Amino acid sequence: MSDSTIRTYSSDQRQTDNDETVSTPDEDVLTCPECGGQVIDDEEHGESVCVDCGLVVEENGIDRGPEWRAFNSTEKDEKSRVGAPTTNMMHDKGLSTNIGWQDKDAYGNSLSSNQRQKMQRLRKWNERFRTRNSKERNLKQALGEIERMASALGLPKEVRETASVIYRRALSEDLLPGRSIEGVATAALYASARQLSTPRSIDEVANVSRIDEMEFKRTYRYIVRELSLEVAPADPAQYVPRFASDLDLPDEVERRSRELISNAQADGVTSGKSPVGLAAAAIYASSLLTNHKVTQSEVSEVTDVSEVTIRNRYQELLEATEAAA
Amino acid sequence: MSTLADTIHIENVVASSDLGQELALDQLSTDLPGAEYNPEDFPGVVYRLQEPKSATLIFRSGKVVCTGAKSVDDVHEALGIVFGDIRELGIDVTSNPPIEVQNIVSSASLEQSLNLNAIAIGLGLEQIEYEPEQFPGLVYRLDDPDVVVLLFGSGKLVITGGQNPDEAEQALAHVQDRLTELGLLD
Repeated sequence: MSDSTIRTYSSDQRQTDNDETVSTPDEDVLTCPECGGQVIDDEEHGESVCVDCGLVVEENGIDRGPEWRAFNSTEKDEKSRVGAPTTNMMHDKGLSTNIGWQDKDAYGNSLSSNQRQKMQRLRKWNERFRTRNSKERNLKQALGEIERMASALGLPKEVRETASVIYRRALSEDLLPGRSIEGVATAALYASARQLSTPRSIDEVANVSRIDEMEFKRTYRYIVRELSLEVAPADPAQYVPRFASDLDLPDEVERRSRELISNAQADGVTSGKSPVGLAAAAIYASSLLTNHKVTQSEVSEVTDVSEVTIRNRYQELLEATEAAA
Repeated sequence: MSTLADTIHIENVVASSDLGQELALDQLSTDLPGAEYNPEDFPGVVYRLQEPKSATLIFRSGKVVCTGAKSVDDVHEALGIVFGDIRELGIDVTSNPPIEVQNIVSSASLEQSLNLNAIAIGLGLEQIEYEPEQFPGLVYRLDDPDVVVLLFGSGKLVITGGQNPDEAEQALAHVQDRLTELGLLD
């Protein structure tokens, strides 16, 4: 009974001693019909049992898991009979049929020229049927754009997925008219990178986007407001590891940079300062403090922050650290 | 009211009015001494006054916008002077065109440095906008009074979007209350 999961709460007089009692508000409340006690799932036997009187409320439960076992990924691939999970990163959630681009049959043999032409025609029609209306075509283009920018920025799959969801929301709430597809896609990607604590700076995103920075910023503010996205201000420390590795700096520098940043935050000198600028200055300062000197211009190049900003933030960081010491 | 209300200083008042008739701006700009008119840059005549210091924009439709004044009284005075000057040119201006204040910009201070990050999270991310990468201030949109407050790390703030000088005071008091509630003010 160790892997039993508790399905319900008992009636209020009896949840005194069980600290393993977890409430699951979204599940339907099931109490024992005999004594009103709590009913638990016994997965081993496929039964639902009352913990108090032992009454079997339900038997022969269905196990929805796979009936096969696999011990490595090859076996898993062989035995699994399902496709890839649905994803928001494709306009049809990946549920449609794709016709492969290689003109090969199931055995890997090349197709005859007749068949090849037929497949070409099928592919064309399949492509046309996959995107029926303008919204789907819009979505397809936007998601392609998100995918392109995310891979150029080296953002992980979760960020792309979130960006896709944000874009879908923008589309379903009719925020698109009057704004470009690329603009909203860029803004969605930037917002999702921020939400998932892997921020990219505005400059970096604008560099890989097809729209100009002003439009991007405007669109970003607009969709954040309209969709109430709750994007917390970026933490400068989140930029540090990436910049440090771009500059080939060791962990020591990274650690020192985090220290400098948290000192400055405790001192309250970071308010209203660009997090990218702070990260850049912290990297520069800590590279000096740990004898791995990089020049301001090198840091500036990698971070897209001007040398003047680096110098100014650098002073403030050191003063904050002195104050903390 | 707290003493912080004394830090409120009106920086700019914008008001509009209507002369009720179309104007020939070419003629007007040559007749009004010191008026600027460059239709390629801007479609209206810019007429600046030194006392009270303000600039009045006069448009072809007869609509007039006065900006740059430091108080509501100054706006009325400035527009009164402008109307007088126009009247002298023989343009028949109705005796007292209604003057409507459109926007008042005030500055104020909380007189202590602020942790904008904490404020951004404390006030709830729906009502505020804080993007230090784009703008160093925190934008706080109030519902009542309907104004926008910009808070800066130095503790200075800008209150804009109101039509009434009292709204700045209410907004400052509101901000102060909210921040004290959140324990973000000493």
